[in-house]
Parts: sequence; structure tokens; C-alpha cells
Amino acid sequence: MIELKNVKMCFEDFNALDGVDLTIEAGTAFGLLGSNGAGKSTILRLLSGVYEATEGEVLIDGEPAYDNVAAKQKVFFINDETVQFGAMTLTDMRNYYKGFYPNFSDEIFDKLNAIIKLPEKKRIDKFSKGMKRQAIVITGLAACTDYLLLDEAFDGLDPTMRIIVKRMLVDAMLDRKLTVVISSHNLKEINELCDTAALLHQGKLLFNRDLDSVKGSIHKVQAAFNGDCTENDFEGLDVLHYERNQSITYLIIKGDEETIRTELEKKQPKVLDLIPLTLEEIFIYEMEGMGYDCNGLD
Amino acid sequence: MYNIDLQSRTPIYEQLYKKIIELILKKELMPNDKLPSVRELAKELGVNPNTVSKAFQLLERDKVIYSLAGRGSFVCNVNPDAVRDAAFADFDKAVAEALTAGVTKEELKERIEGA
Repeated sequence: MIELKNVKMCFEDFNALDGVDLTIEAGTAFGLLGSNGAGKSTILRLLSGVYEATEGEVLIDGEPAYDNVAAKQKVFFINDETVQFGAMTLTDMRNYYKGFYPNFSDEIFDKLNAIIKLPEKKRIDKFSKGMKRQAIVITGLAACTDYLLLDEAFDGLDPTMRIIVKRMLVDAMLDRKLTVVISSHNLKEINELCDTAALLHQGKLLFNRDLDSVKGSIHKVQAAFNGDCTENDFEGLDVLHYERNQSITYLIIKGDEETIRTELEKKQPKVLDLIPLTLEEIFIYEMEGMGYDCNGLD
Repeated sequence: MYNIDLQSRTPIYEQLYKKIIELILKKELMPNDKLPSVRELAKELGVNPNTVSKAFQLLERDKVIYSLAGRGSFVCNVNPDAVRDAAFADFDKAVAEALTAGVTKEELKERIEGA
């Protein structure tokens, strides 16, 4: 289990994380969503024991993550930085990690590399960007850790590699209760892979929920009411967004379908259409509620 | 066969739940047929195995499938009335839509006679 307790992370004059509480159960897949600079990578670096939290606790199975070999051996962090391996070959990199991770599996490594065929004797800084990514991904899977952190990990992979990685993750989750933490902008990937997701904004957690319950939690309404209506007519409901175009009223309302429908039908609408928002739309409206939107670009 | 829409607004576990019931009603899955394992299905669909488990648990709760330890999940003998009920539910919905669209009851009756 991963636990963050009131974690603050300050870099000189910048608060990357501002009091984050988070629990991630073993054997689940967790998605970290958020705008650029929201604090996603900071959380991953704290979990991998690279950073020490300014305040609060970061625990892996109850043990502090920072500067703790026992905790670090349980975590593999797949990120974009392969700079430190520039002069090494793939074989050197594998041996380096093999020395650190006690459960490292040569079998898995060879099996994966038999599929993608990365050159084993070539210097890693001569690899293309995609190849570097593949190298770190197969090493991370072969490390057989209890926790796998993927920082925007799917972004640099081609579709075939994505499928391979997903299938490996399914096996690992079932066979050894692997816990996966993925940060991404890509909601499609998070939707497919994660049980729960958290939305971060400016170092704070906006929500942290079971994805199935997030879906269907906000609805888009198109309605036509008799006579004039204003935003104030919907006080009993949690309205996130109100827009009126001639006789049609557009609303974004938080809540389940039945409650919203019952409440709105009291006003005897001539037309009432209700559809749940997609994950992507929910994300956009939640961010808009925090003053982060794309409307300033007109 | 187990195609689902990953972009849909409906949760993945719910789609899978409905899909399996649909396959049973269409007789593509027969009583005592073995279902793919959670692992196989999660890999085929590219989704989280916990999501597939959730669908299976609900199907088992609703007595649509049963599981045998170490052997997998199998299709139950679903009550044939359930099939009739589902057919009538679809029919009622189609009738309601047709009436809203201005089709008359007489026209619908003619249609049934001709079926």
C-alpha cells in the first residue's frame, strides 16, 4: 500500500505539492491526472524515494520511501530520463538494475527484448527517443517490483508496444499483486487501465475517486423551459455551468441522473435531455471550476 | 465477441456485464459454456483485470454465471422467461418510439401481421 499523509513539497519559492493525502491499495492501478505543473511527477519522485518531502509522510508498505533501500527495491520508476545511462549499453543497464532489484527476471527481459529487438551492445545515447523509452520500460517490467510508476509512460510507445505493456501489467497485477501508478494527460489510457484516479491542480488534489463512480457523476442537460429562466432558478442543484441560447438552456450539473431529472421536471420543461459526461468532459469542467480553462484563448 | 467501447460513457465493467448477458440471450453462449478467464479477457480488451473481475462478480451475484474453484467461470442455466422478458422490453421500447414518431397503432398491427 502507498500512503501520502499531508505531503508538502517546496522548491525554493514554489510549492509543488500543498498538503496531499492519498492512499493507493495494493494490486490496483491508479491514475494521476492534471495539467502541466500540477504536481504529478513530484508525487512519483517522492514515491520512488528521489525527493524528500518538505512536510508530511510518504510511505511504501508503512515504511518511509526516502533514502530507504528496502522501500526503493519495491519500486521501479519509469520516466523520461535515461541521461545517466548515456555511455552504457542495454546489457550494462540491465546488469546495473539487476544488482539493485532482488527479483529481477532475466527471463522476462529476454522475452520482451525478443519481441522488440533492441541492440544489446550499442550505447544507449545512440538510441532513438522511442528506443530509449522501450529500454527503460522492459527493464522496469523485468525488475518485478511490487510497485511500478509510469510517468507519461505510454506517450512515447507505439501501439504494438502499448498492447505488450498492458498485457504484461495484467499478468503482473494478477500474479503478484503489482500496484501501478500512471501519470498521464491521456484520459483514454487512464480510463482503460485504472481503478481509481486523482485529479491534481496546483499541488492540490481536486478529486480522488473510483473511476466507475466518476462516470455518471456529472450530467449535461439540454432543456427548454416555459417562460424566462435564469441561473438562479436552479438553486437546489449543483450547477457547474449555465448557458442560455434563445429558448434552449444548457446546464452542467453534478449529481446522479434521477435526482437531476426529478428536480428539473418540477419546472415542467418542454424538452429535457440528459446525458452523462465523458471522463474527458468531467476533467475539463472540474478544471474550469478551478479557473483553468481554454476559453481565454478566443 | 466480447467487443466493448472503451470510449463510451458507460463504465467498462457495466458494458462487459451487459455484453455477456446479451451473448447468452443470443445463444452465442450456452448453459455450462466456459467463459474466458479474467486474465484472458483483460488482455484481449486491454483493460484492468480488476474491472473484469468486477463484472464477473456481479454476474455471479445475479446468478448468470457460476465459478468453480481452479476451473473458471461458466454460464448458468438462465431462466427462459428472462429471454422473453428481454424481448418484450425491447418490443415495448420500439413501440413507444414508433408512437412518438407518429406511427399509428393500426400501422404497427399490420406490421406484426405481416411478420
